[in-house]
Amino acid sequence: MPYIWRFDVVIANLPILLQGLWMTCALTVLSMVIGLVVGLVVALFRLSGWRILAVPATVFTELFRTTPLLVQVVWIFTVLPLMTGVALSPFFSGLVALGLNVAAFMAEIYRTGIYSVDRGQRHAAHALGMTNAQTMRRIVLPQAVMRMVPPMAAMWVALFKDTSILATIGVVELMYEARYLASDTFRPLEIFTAVAVVYFALAYPQSLLVNRLYERFRVRE
Amino acid sequence: MTEPILRVVGLHKSFGSLAVLHGINLEVRRGEVIVLIGPSGSGKSSFLRCLNRLEEPTAGQVFLDGVEVTGQQVNLPLVRRQMGMVFQHLNLFPHLTALENVMEGPRTVLGLTKAAARERASALLAKVQLADKAETKPVALSGGQQQRVAIARALAMDPKVMLFDEVTSALDPELVGEVLSVMKQLADEGMTMLVVTHEMSFGRRVAHRVLMFDEGKVIEEGPPEHVFQHATHERTRRFLQQLTWEGQAT
Repeated sequence: MPYIWRFDVVIANLPILLQGLWMTCALTVLSMVIGLVVGLVVALFRLSGWRILAVPATVFTELFRTTPLLVQVVWIFTVLPLMTGVALSPFFSGLVALGLNVAAFMAEIYRTGIYSVDRGQRHAAHALGMTNAQTMRRIVLPQAVMRMVPPMAAMWVALFKDTSILATIGVVELMYEARYLASDTFRPLEIFTAVAVVYFALAYPQSLLVNRLYERFRVRE
Repeated sequence: MTEPILRVVGLHKSFGSLAVLHGINLEVRRGEVIVLIGPSGSGKSSFLRCLNRLEEPTAGQVFLDGVEVTGQQVNLPLVRRQMGMVFQHLNLFPHLTALENVMEGPRTVLGLTKAAARERASALLAKVQLADKAETKPVALSGGQQQRVAIARALAMDPKVMLFDEVTSALDPELVGEVLSVMKQLADEGMTMLVVTHEMSFGRRVAHRVLMFDEGKVIEEGPPEHVFQHATHERTRRFLQQLTWEGQAT
């Protein structure tokens, strides 16, 4: 007997899915903000030239870049409370895990962006009599930022999809709602297909935008 | 006898165990044009970069107009801006237009208003024959044009000395002349200049004094006719011969 697709189940539960989607978007924005801020601090620590700051920053970056996001999420949700005695809600645990993960990658984007600016640019600025701070602000950063924007945008799209991992610790976002509805309605095929379509429909335009950004900010020297 | 504008005493520079400068002494008078020649790796570029401490000298002193550049308490940005520098690798700021490149120093370092900086920059671009390229980004300029903008950018700080570090070495041959012309014009106007170059014709025509560098030392020094025609040092004669074909023909 052929399977009969019943997408009216999706329509009927649309409000629940939209609620989950709203949470997905909120998680993306919030963890991006955390990532941008914490990542900048970590990058500055690594660039500071002081071992006492650079070494912990390097350890942080490498830890988060070399372990799976799922492991980080579960670890921060289950192990960290046992070690510290402070239990965070699934939402905050998830946010911290995602935010720190993004921060580790952002730190590398900042750092390589700044390093990618030719040494001659610094020399030229210094020769004009600029201080280190002026050189950074007027010459290095404007050029570095142009190189940072495309990889940051790519990171954003990946982040938008990766929020789905937080369903495993009970954060009520799009994927969590989907799993709930799938078992509630006995219609997993329709529900998960619909969710895949939603992720695609939202991520694809962003991905196109990323390609545009890479084109727009292509370094011309 | 007036105080020399630039005085270098016993300048040493080492990179780790590799010594590139062995105690250079030099006094430069106001308005003097000094051309530094010598084989690559002889230390002439390092010497220039030690003067404004883009390279940190290992030992020795540099005085600009009586102020010790190498002093512990020196305000480095303040002395650096009095020494204009032009580089082999152009190093224009790619995110700024030609005009903005020239305005950047007066704006950021000297604190001029935008209007005043613009006026100064426009005049300097006109001086290097690039008034029509004011709004052009470096990427759209030829190497020769970029290097002339770089000269204007350095002049915008109203420097006491100009340092030219092989400024035509990275250029296509047909673009060399336009840059040398600007430099000759500057020399004629009385700018004090230290020029590291392989353009011997420039040295012959413009230099007041030529310094021959070899293995971190000045091995020959004198007016161009002396160094180019009656070099006392065998090493200098060989270097000059290797440099040009006509040297072999005569």
